[in-house]
Amino acid sequence: MLKYENVTISAGGERILSDINVSFQKGKLTSIIGPNGCGKTSLLSALNGSARVEKGNIYIDGENYLNFSPKKRGRTLSFLPQVRNTIPDISTALLVSHGRFPYLGFARSMTIEDKRAVEHAMDLADVKKYENMSVEVLSGGTRQRSFFALSLAQECEYMVADEPTTYLDIPGQRKMLNLYRKMRDEGKTVILVLHDIARALEISDEILVMDNRRIVFKGSSDEIIEKRIIEQVFGVGVKRFSDEDGTYYVI
Amino acid sequence: MSKIHLKNKAVTIIALFVLLFICFVLCLSLGSVRISPKEIFKAIIYGGDRFASDSLPLKTVIIVRSIRLPRVVGGLLAGVGLSVAGVLLQGVMNNVLAGPNTIGVGSGAGFCVMLSMLMLPGVTWAIPVFAFAGALIATLLIFALAYFSNTSRVTIILAGITVSSFLSAGINLIKTLNTDIIININSFLMGNLSGVTFGSVWLPGIGITVGLMLAILFSKHLNMLGLGEGVATSLGMRVSAVRFILLVIASVLAGCVVSYAGLLSFAGLIVPHICRRFFGNDARFLIPCSALLGGSFVIMCDLLSRILFSPYELPTGIIMSFIGGPFFIYLLIRKKGGRRIHA
Repeated sequence: MLKYENVTISAGGERILSDINVSFQKGKLTSIIGPNGCGKTSLLSALNGSARVEKGNIYIDGENYLNFSPKKRGRTLSFLPQVRNTIPDISTALLVSHGRFPYLGFARSMTIEDKRAVEHAMDLADVKKYENMSVEVLSGGTRQRSFFALSLAQECEYMVADEPTTYLDIPGQRKMLNLYRKMRDEGKTVILVLHDIARALEISDEILVMDNRRIVFKGSSDEIIEKRIIEQVFGVGVKRFSDEDGTYYVI
Repeated sequence: MSKIHLKNKAVTIIALFVLLFICFVLCLSLGSVRISPKEIFKAIIYGGDRFASDSLPLKTVIIVRSIRLPRVVGGLLAGVGLSVAGVLLQGVMNNVLAGPNTIGVGSGAGFCVMLSMLMLPGVTWAIPVFAFAGALIATLLIFALAYFSNTSRVTIILAGITVSSFLSAGINLIKTLNTDIIININSFLMGNLSGVTFGSVWLPGIGITVGLMLAILFSKHLNMLGLGEGVATSLGMRVSAVRFILLVIASVLAGCVVSYAGLLSFAGLIVPHICRRFFGNDARFLIPCSALLGGSFVIMCDLLSRILFSPYELPTGIIMSFIGGPFFIYLLIRKKGGRRIHA
């Protein structure tokens, strides 16, 4: 379980979130939704040091995550930030192999086990056929899956991604979210920031709704529909349809 | 998009070594007096040993050993130092505009070299020490500025440009106020390898060699910085510490070069770019390639500056800008096609 306890977060010298208490269940897929600027990214940025934790503690399976060494953090929780203003001009295979960094000693040579993890991650993310191509020339969807493979190669219990589907076309989004669902099915704890409310309601075990730098609600999709949270926060209606294939939501 | 695989990498490195060797021999043999490669070899190995079977004229030995060899070795080291410093700076700043001349490292070193000429005229050992100190102070200043204003790659390059223009003003101030040292300074500002001796090159040479080895050692870290700050941090890298170490290495390299070759920094901007175009962005491969190509580039420019208008000599920096500039623009115009691969 990933647990925030009275956490106050600031970024760029400004206090963004105050006294946050929230926990993410182990083995579940939790989505965070909320209007732009509600503090979603800051909440997660505390996990990789991009935002500063001023007060409070973050516990991961009972241990104080903030006291972990950088490498131990990299072995426990993989974090894919949203902003990638630099697209590296390196081969996909090299990109994914960076995921093994938290496991390497100073010599930085990869063992057979490291190489296997990289191969496995590329296979799962379906980017093996691009392994010798530069990340720069890949399409948006493939590039995003390459970064996903990078985080997968970290072999962490916890996988966190900030808006992994932004800028992707519909098939690209589906493919990406299905991968995260698959990770959940394999027992990993997945936390995603999503903009697509309907898809978030559809795929998540739990949903965290944020607004105005506060946590508004946390619960299952059914509870969110029942309590009309989407209407209150986003000001839009939401409808639920069910058939033999599953449950869908329309905003 | 050219992709270079492992065995091609080995071939590339060997080819660059061969190129460097050819340039090296050419530079020793051509000039106002032509000396055959065989004579060069003999002069270096046996020197003026009169007991060697067919001894060379003393003049040839002196030209090779005391004039050309230190100059070519100096040029080689300058090329290596500047190019590798450029690769490091561009990687750390994540900015293609970064280079020893744009980030204040070169002008920092230059300013302190001027200070040492002013304060300790004629003390040769003081120059490299001052140059390194200047480069390091400029780097630390930039790093501190960027750190306290929230370290992002944009603020670092802005801080670099600010510090650089400040120090350039300092150089020009000294130049204007003290007319006694102006003759040294003109060629110093353009970058010049004439008059390099083993006495002025051995200490910076050690610095450059150590810097190169450290740069290769940290090439994987440099690669990770290229993923962006957020990803690198998430992978468990201490981004600020690594940036700091790489900046110190870069300032050792650039400072050492400036100490004996002046502000020859253009090589530090273009050689890394040319190498990126041809050899890709993997720092583990890019650093050795840039070092080898940078060495060849600088000594060939120096050769041209010696022989083009012989017996007159141009400062090396002029030739470098005249050749490097247009070639660089050609590379920029001939952009790689914007082809994308679809999933």
